[in-house]
Amino acid sequence: MTFADSSDAVVFPYGAATETTPEDAADNEYDVVIVGGGMGGSIIADQLSLDGQRVLILEAGPGKDLELAGYESYLSRFFGAITKDNQSPYAFNPNARMPRSTDVMPVKPDTPEDDYYLVQTGPYSTDSTYTRVLGGTTMHWEAKALRMLPEDFSLSTLYGRGLNWPVSYDDLEPYYRQSERELGVSAEVEDQAYLGMHFPDGYVFPMHRMPLSYLDQVVAKGVDGMEVDLYGERYGLRVRSFPQARNGVPNAAYDGGNGYSPVGAVSTSQVREGERCQGNTNCVPLCPVQAKYHAGKTLAKALSRGNVDIVTQAVASEVHIDPATGRVTGITYKKYADSRSPRHTTHTADGTLYVLSANAIENARLMLASDLPSTSGLMGRNLMDHAYLLSWALLPEVAGTMRGTICTGGISDLRGGRFRRHQAGFAADIHNDGWGWATGSPYSDLLAIVDRQGKFGKDLRTTLADQISRQLLLAFMIEVLPEPGNRVTVSRDYKDALGNMKPVVSYQIPDYTKEGVVYARQFARDVFDRLGAEDCTVYRPDDPGRISYKGEDYAIRGGNHLAGTHIMGTAKSTSVVDHTQRSWDHENLYLVGGGSMPSVATSNISLTLAALAFRSARYIIKQLRAEKAPVYLSAR
Amino acid sequence: MTLPKTTQATGDARAAGTTVQTAPEPLITTLAQLHDYLYRGLRIEHATLPPYLTALYSLERERNSDAWHIIRVVAVEEMLHLTLVANVLNAVRGRPDLTKPGFVPRYPTALPDGEDDFLVHLRPFGEEAVDMFLEIERPRQAPAARHRVVEQQALPAEVGSSFGPESGVAGEALAAVPGQPGLKFYSIGEFYEEVISGINYLEDRARDRGKSIFTGDPARQVTQEYFYSGGGQIIPVTNRDTAVRALTLIAEQGEGLGGGIYDAEDELAHYYRFQQLKLGRYYQSGDEPGSPSGPRVSVDFRAAHPVKRDPRLRDYPKDSELRAAAVDFNEKYASFLTMLTEAYNGKPGVLLEAVWEMFRIRDTMSRLMRNPIPGQPGKNAGPTFELYPATRAETT
Repeated sequence: MTFADSSDAVVFPYGAATETTPEDAADNEYDVVIVGGGMGGSIIADQLSLDGQRVLILEAGPGKDLELAGYESYLSRFFGAITKDNQSPYAFNPNARMPRSTDVMPVKPDTPEDDYYLVQTGPYSTDSTYTRVLGGTTMHWEAKALRMLPEDFSLSTLYGRGLNWPVSYDDLEPYYRQSERELGVSAEVEDQAYLGMHFPDGYVFPMHRMPLSYLDQVVAKGVDGMEVDLYGERYGLRVRSFPQARNGVPNAAYDGGNGYSPVGAVSTSQVREGERCQGNTNCVPLCPVQAKYHAGKTLAKALSRGNVDIVTQAVASEVHIDPATGRVTGITYKKYADSRSPRHTTHTADGTLYVLSANAIENARLMLASDLPSTSGLMGRNLMDHAYLLSWALLPEVAGTMRGTICTGGISDLRGGRFRRHQAGFAADIHNDGWGWATGSPYSDLLAIVDRQGKFGKDLRTTLADQISRQLLLAFMIEVLPEPGNRVTVSRDYKDALGNMKPVVSYQIPDYTKEGVVYARQFARDVFDRLGAEDCTVYRPDDPGRISYKGEDYAIRGGNHLAGTHIMGTAKSTSVVDHTQRSWDHENLYLVGGGSMPSVATSNISLTLAALAFRSARYIIKQLRAEKAPVYLSAR
Repeated sequence: MTLPKTTQATGDARAAGTTVQTAPEPLITTLAQLHDYLYRGLRIEHATLPPYLTALYSLERERNSDAWHIIRVVAVEEMLHLTLVANVLNAVRGRPDLTKPGFVPRYPTALPDGEDDFLVHLRPFGEEAVDMFLEIERPRQAPAARHRVVEQQALPAEVGSSFGPESGVAGEALAAVPGQPGLKFYSIGEFYEEVISGINYLEDRARDRGKSIFTGDPARQVTQEYFYSGGGQIIPVTNRDTAVRALTLIAEQGEGLGGGIYDAEDELAHYYRFQQLKLGRYYQSGDEPGSPSGPRVSVDFRAAHPVKRDPRLRDYPKDSELRAAAVDFNEKYASFLTMLTEAYNGKPGVLLEAVWEMFRIRDTMSRLMRNPIPGQPGKNAGPTFELYPATRAETT
């Protein structure tokens, strides 16, 4: 008789997310305690478990196994939600609240406390979010998996802007490949070898690229061959496919000809779904078939090995330090039984090493709530996120909008170049889901056609289809440089249901980015002109993301690419963590994730975040082995 | 579909009185016969799809997620089996044609159950449907190789022809023995055993002459880039070994390997997947057949649209939207079979485009099933799968 392989990549061990009680955890000795069951935490837990280390994960979100019925209940809630924002699949949880794009407002003393989680003191209010359920923000991400450019690691040296990284593209390159395997990236090297990005000879991505949508091809007719002049240099443009952590057709040449097996839906039973993208165009927040990577795919492997435990509904509230050595001695967390009640019990998790992987804002929030601002004073500072400028237009002909995955192609040629001495670089997405992000289409179109044009029946259907399938949305993901004044703090005035201090964010869009915004807007107009498209862009005066610059108004959306609150660097005085993401101040503490990034550059942060996690896992294992090695006392 | 694990003689089946002594010579002795058998294999593999899809899309998915996924996986793997048979047929220079009139059976249709037959109906999800699925997937092995072929029992008048009794087109049971009227295979498994014997016979003869029957164009094989099923990989067929492996995979996915619940690729066998719905628990690694110990399966046998059993176009009033939707479904299904035929004839990339057609099939089916049939209280419409002019003529 043969048995199913117990390490079946997608079988989430039954009961793993609910069985470990705080009391069980207290009885066990853990090598590493990880705060956060998202992508970074899951990758590190998986790598440590492969090495035989004992790991405890504390997850703030709901304590359900990653079974299919649970995932589908998220989907149903999303389908039934009137506002389909990134967090709409998730029930409101006052014990581990998350920012919502629908709650964006500058918070003033009289703002009702229940209206917000992120306390925004301005001047700019972001609609950026992160998701606090098992799987973290991979439970709403779009799954673009871009590498950073080699030049992004030394912006200061090359362009006199921003900060250098303590690691280079070449240092990270093998970890990028490891991440592309783990996340299951679909792309072609021929598309991705631009602006200095290089790959070892013979490398192919695990899966072939997602085909460019028909809309991409329509846009390419206007863009391919276009040239722009920026500060005296010419840049040639083309529509290029984006690498995506989404299951495509496996590349038979991967791994020296061994190929790649796409990882499908995670569940407590064998379901065999999601091993290919089906083109539902419903990638965000959730892929209906889990063809898009989420951290549960990594977590399922880690939890199957038997040396990783997870306590869910466990919100970390304080990091304790031995004042003599600076070492972390434990992490206090609040375990709640039911998200509808603030009742909880308080426990402390002990390990040899500790990893905070709760995202840039929550990592900083937890450290600052523990009164640990770091020697550099930079904890929480240099908060970054991509500034998104949306521009939308109506194409002269039907272009098949709403087909394909949410975004298959875009213009990446202005991600890097010498112009970055003067203005921010950007990548521009062509959105296959039309104007949805900008205007709430297709729902807003429907209302407008019914209410304002009085159409119904077949006429309504035809008008709607014609209008939507001609929509073009260009989303410019514009670089933001680190500025110490853009920061996360905490205040005793703002607490959540469990009594944990909420994050307080003060943020402004730097002028360097605004220069990029002005350019991007003009660039969009040029592209629309070349396509004969009618520019329909309107930035509403009451938009919370509104900015004014050089006499023009814009609305800036958040990118959910939160970075920079505990930047890595080469010295304790100028950074919070070292090149391994280890805290300079606390030798047994690693702060991992976007927070460690000294620049957010022009790539979605997740692939880099994953690469950094794989790299840190190596150093964590090394440190553990050294700390666990027997000590010989010499009598000399 | 299932295949016996090994052929072993147990007892004297002649006592049953209905078995027929088969000649020691294999039934397949020419390439043309092998092509005919493999075409019949395509028909048999396809014949389970309409009942599985009908049950699947009749489910109220949100209330029956577990059942939805269990049936879905099996349906996808039946598509794999269909494609594997096409690969074998292409490997021996055959031309798979799913558009031939009569390819799709008329339901109810009969599948062999040893000496007897059982009827496969189009019916909504429910306990009867699950029992029927277990019947379809249950392994059945002839008591001895010589009992592989048995007499065809009399079938109800409406069963047999793809064109309906009024059409005047003579029908044939799905597992009938070609050229031997009144005989049928003991089981689908035995049918494939016969195909494997035929492949061995023909390949041995060909090799004696320094040749091979596997001279099909490899470019006609459907490979992993074009077909994925999650469980069970597509096998490109280029020689005897890969042909036998492809046909054996079909067997194991039905019944499990060596009496266990999993196949060689650790894929839970169809029979046991369905059994989980009866037993209320998932199987997990290490379980014995009949004793699943995994998470609970929650199933509500009543949470399905009450689709009429074996509906016909004539059940839907003339000129009604329902009739139009049912005709529309049949046309979409026919166009899906045309795409599959293209894919199996040198254009495997068409399989990727067929995915959209599958969504259309799903949506059209769902639309039908949400609508009651006028004058038939408590009965909703369903797809009829009447694809051929003869059946359509009968209804106008």
